[in-house]
Amino acid sequence: MPRARRLQPAAEWTEIASTAADWKAADPALLATMLGQLHLIRAFEETVLELAGEGLVHGPAHSSIGQEGGAVGSIAGLRSADGVNGSHRGHHQFLAKALTHVTKGRLSPAELVTPEVAEVLRRTLAEILGLAQGYCAGRGGSMHLQWLEAGALGTNAIVGGGVPMAAGNAWAQKHAGRLLHRGDAPPAPPDMDLTVTYFGDGAVNIGSVLETMNLAAAWELPLAFFIENNGYAVSTTVGEATGEPRLSARGTGFGIPSYQVDGMDPLAVHLVMEAAARRMRSGEGPVVIEALVYRFFHQNGPFPGSAFGYRTREEEAAWRARDPLDRVAAEMSRLGLIGEEGIKSVRDQAREAMREAAAALVEPDPAAGGTGGPHGASPRGGTAHKPGARRIRPGLWPDPAFVDVGIRGDAAELAGARTAEEATFGGEASRGKFIDAVWRVMDRRMTADERIVVLGEDVHKLNGGTNGATKGLAGKFPGRVLGTPISENAFAGLGGGLALDGRFRPVVEFMYPDFLWVAADQVFNQIGKARHMFGGKNPVPLVLRTKVALGSGYGSQHLMDPAGIFATSPGWRVMAPSTPFDYIGMMNAALALDDPVLVIEHVDLYPSEGDIPAGDLDYLIPFGTAAVRRPGRDVTVLAYLSMVEQARIAIERTGIDAELIDLRFLDRASLDWETVGASIRKTNAVLIVEQGSLGTSYGGWLADEVQRRFFDWLDQPVQRVTGGEASPSISRVLERAAIARADEVAAGLERVRAGFGAGYQGGGSR
Amino acid sequence: MATVVRMPSVLAGAAEAAIARWLVGVGDAVTVGAPVAEIETEKALVEYAAEESGIVGRLVLAEGEAGEVGDPILVLVSTAETDADIDKALGKAPTAGTQASRGAASGSERSFGRSGEPEAAAVTTEGGGPGGLVATPQESRIFASPLVRKVAAEQGIDLAAVEGTGPNGRIVRRDLERLAATPPRSPAPAPDRAAAGTAQPGVSVADGAALADGALVAGTGRESPAGGRLIPHTPMRRAIARRLSESKATVPHFYMATDCVVDELLALRGRVNATVAGKTVAGKVSVNDFVVMAAAGAFADVPEANVTWSDEGLIAYGNVDISIAVATDGGLVTPVLRDVGAKRLSQVAREARDLAQRARDRRLAQREIEGGVLSVSNLGMYGTLEFSAIINPPQSAVLAVGAARPQPVAADGAVSVATVMRCTLSVDHRAIDGALAARWLAAFTARMQDPLGAIA
Repeated sequence: MPRARRLQPAAEWTEIASTAADWKAADPALLATMLGQLHLIRAFEETVLELAGEGLVHGPAHSSIGQEGGAVGSIAGLRSADGVNGSHRGHHQFLAKALTHVTKGRLSPAELVTPEVAEVLRRTLAEILGLAQGYCAGRGGSMHLQWLEAGALGTNAIVGGGVPMAAGNAWAQKHAGRLLHRGDAPPAPPDMDLTVTYFGDGAVNIGSVLETMNLAAAWELPLAFFIENNGYAVSTTVGEATGEPRLSARGTGFGIPSYQVDGMDPLAVHLVMEAAARRMRSGEGPVVIEALVYRFFHQNGPFPGSAFGYRTREEEAAWRARDPLDRVAAEMSRLGLIGEEGIKSVRDQAREAMREAAAALVEPDPAAGGTGGPHGASPRGGTAHKPGARRIRPGLWPDPAFVDVGIRGDAAELAGARTAEEATFGGEASRGKFIDAVWRVMDRRMTADERIVVLGEDVHKLNGGTNGATKGLAGKFPGRVLGTPISENAFAGLGGGLALDGRFRPVVEFMYPDFLWVAADQVFNQIGKARHMFGGKNPVPLVLRTKVALGSGYGSQHLMDPAGIFATSPGWRVMAPSTPFDYIGMMNAALALDDPVLVIEHVDLYPSEGDIPAGDLDYLIPFGTAAVRRPGRDVTVLAYLSMVEQARIAIERTGIDAELIDLRFLDRASLDWETVGASIRKTNAVLIVEQGSLGTSYGGWLADEVQRRFFDWLDQPVQRVTGGEASPSISRVLERAAIARADEVAAGLERVRAGFGAGYQGGGSR
Repeated sequence: MATVVRMPSVLAGAAEAAIARWLVGVGDAVTVGAPVAEIETEKALVEYAAEESGIVGRLVLAEGEAGEVGDPILVLVSTAETDADIDKALGKAPTAGTQASRGAASGSERSFGRSGEPEAAAVTTEGGGPGGLVATPQESRIFASPLVRKVAAEQGIDLAAVEGTGPNGRIVRRDLERLAATPPRSPAPAPDRAAAGTAQPGVSVADGAALADGALVAGTGRESPAGGRLIPHTPMRRAIARRLSESKATVPHFYMATDCVVDELLALRGRVNATVAGKTVAGKVSVNDFVVMAAAGAFADVPEANVTWSDEGLIAYGNVDISIAVATDGGLVTPVLRDVGAKRLSQVAREARDLAQRARDRRLAQREIEGGVLSVSNLGMYGTLEFSAIINPPQSAVLAVGAARPQPVAADGAVSVATVMRCTLSVDHRAIDGALAARWLAAFTARMQDPLGAIA
């Protein structure tokens, strides 16, 4: 019989409830503020449901009615510089943060609705209705509410998707002091800003949440994981979804102090947050707070959950009896802080404010009939034309031309930068390996720009990571080269949050490109879309480095070329340098840009040699320009990365007079159509060359664009060279068969030659 | 039984014509001989008269729509007949299966017109490329690369005559280059720079130059002048090009010139125009009218010259029919003055003026431009000294008339100043030998210099 010893989690796990003494000791102004916020949010949500019932809210409206206590209790004491983000059910948190910001945390029951408060209510409602005056210009709607100035980082429609980004915000808050710290002045005792990330019981079981708990604990980030446990993920109960329905238990698994609190008691939540904030602001790391709340309605819409049969009316009635609005009012009235009249006045002021906010945005529908009159019948049917029907004021919609504005920046930040090209570079240069250019330019930039932070797996060890790409950086820049746990979703998202914060320039490394699928939510749903989705104004400057490893034997799950996936995902810019000189100038451009940029490297290029300027690592390659590597008359060969050299070999072998263009800047917005177009008008034939698998390949969209732009200049179909359909296998022979190199490019050139017809005179195989 | 009226053959050799204007509408009653439509061919605008009577049940072609000869253009019905009867009648149309099926598939009026652009349709049926291939809708389509199609349209290259050596027989850039390197073709119009610029979004105007500098043009040695602009061919322009190319290539021309002293002629013309009749517009006579009269007189003097060539034999004429060349906005038109030898000067003048005016209005009937033995082409009003003209088949000669200018002439050993008009005769050597032509030209010169004879 083995000996057993009971082990305890290292972190404490505590249930907190308020006492009568706590209420008595509470600042009356705090209680009044909480009462006011609770009523404003309740009235706001009732208005949203009313408008949704009239068909004026496009898409879902996830009501927070019943759950206000958790948001108000946790936010009423926060600073504007503290950040919050949330989920699809986020109106209450957004409003609490925005109201706390504009009122500096103080609401007066006697004069609840100041002009600033009215503006918050109106602009938030406008955003939910999809109108131009909303905080995100109407793009975000109910589920994507962002107001960075108020510390509202953006709510998220991917369950758990905002949590890694919140960690990035917290990382910036923790380390921002370093940017300000100068000379030998002693550092002040830590009093950092903090971030609260709100999510529901459904999100607790999602990888990015758990990955981020781990990462935040490891890096001691000032981040509160605030679980609004309302008991139901739509209709699935917490008990059905997990073996540990006490969801705050998750935190102890990561060594995070965790609290459970009655979310219907705003003061209790406030007290928990006070304790949590002390820990976070002093730099001790994250907390988990589980607030037990209840949504009075179904997932979305104006009906109670019992109407759908997954819970009982009795259960709903029992929770409604614990309404947080009534709780605060009752406690305040018991303490003599407010009377019946005062409570009614708060409620009336909130409702009147919402009537005014709605009236500013909607108007009687002129197509609606009078009461019971003969014109009551709508010509189109439906509810919109019932008597008394309202409509959105037509002038408030966004301009349809706004649809694609702000997907990315305009690259104006690169204007005036010093550029250089290898072909015309006059300065001194020495031969060097590509991989040395990778770490040397990063070294140079990190020296010049202390905002730059590198993060990825093993980037801080192995003398520069698995390939030497970060050689020497960890020792030279302590605290700025961060070896991450193997959680691409968490650290990619953390990078995204850092970028959105703007005080740092994250450089994220994926050891292999295929990990983009692991981190796909953060890479594409969050980082790629964040700028556009939240209104098109807030930049996301992030560099993602990865290396194509085709030919290295790493097999089916490590050997993709990510260019095609990124080039077809809006928001990302894609750069693919083929020489050390270009790498330096393109990395400088990537780090200067205010957009997310994927910089693709290739293992075959790492040992290749080229000119590296001596003492000049600060130039940019002219942004958005391709390079003609070999002029020719017969066919335009479009290539990038290592395939530029493979194509050059193939061209020499076939003797076809091809014009070889190194695309360099691959994404839709950055591609050099001028150079490509001039070449196609000369050669009338195009061969797009890439190495990787057909399915996720880059050339598909490019071929489409080429044939539409240059149809009348094409003398034959756009030809392509790619790898096979399957991802390459590990077997050396099968891997070689699955990828394209010079032989395959030569075969592609022969297909082009066949398209020349009998009149072709040049060339001839050598 | 509904009656299908088909596109008439208004001009021998024209496979296609277009409805320029309907003169009747659906529901109108039509009697035999009543004009129903104006039909436009390459050369003429013809009023077409009904050959049967009935009520117009359906106009099959819209105004501006072209059809091949034999295609249904309208359907005449009796009062009791319905749309179904019309469809049935069209469905039975014997010309071609495709048209029958079109008709059957068509449930409504004008619904199955061909291309809405008669000229475009004319291009596809024009045929007559060097290889003799004719692209008609019945034949399989020509496969050519987008670049080749663009260049062919710009340079007027008939792709039906080009051999495609690309994959699947596709005509590719180098096929055009090979073609250009062998027989000389008609001069290529410059590529349309502006059009190239607008046709390609995101492409600057300089792109046209880029094309001109590109391998296609450089490879053929053709230089495209900058700033050219493509003007699509009208049927008339194509007809002129085809007929005159054929004439120059197949008719052995020879030329002879004469100087006519026309002082007397001009004086006489002045007197005629000073008469009461001559002071009216209708009564005025032109120098050209005298030339036409003199030419007719010359044929009376040398009747052996009043012949034209055919493969079967020479055709000799009793009457003297002479064409006058009329410059119109659309191009050269040559209406025929009939039996000039039997007419007085004033009558010829009147008829010539009428024909010229209607030629400019494109309102000549087909018969008014057919036949003739000689054309008179007068560029004297432009100050042209002399020129030689191309014979207008099937005629056997053309007389090119230059300007009347005072110049020194030697007569009876003395030099004096006279008004001289140089006329150059182009002759079809198959029909008329040099001596015969010389006799005719001498007779013509004599009549020019003795104008009273012309009006006698």
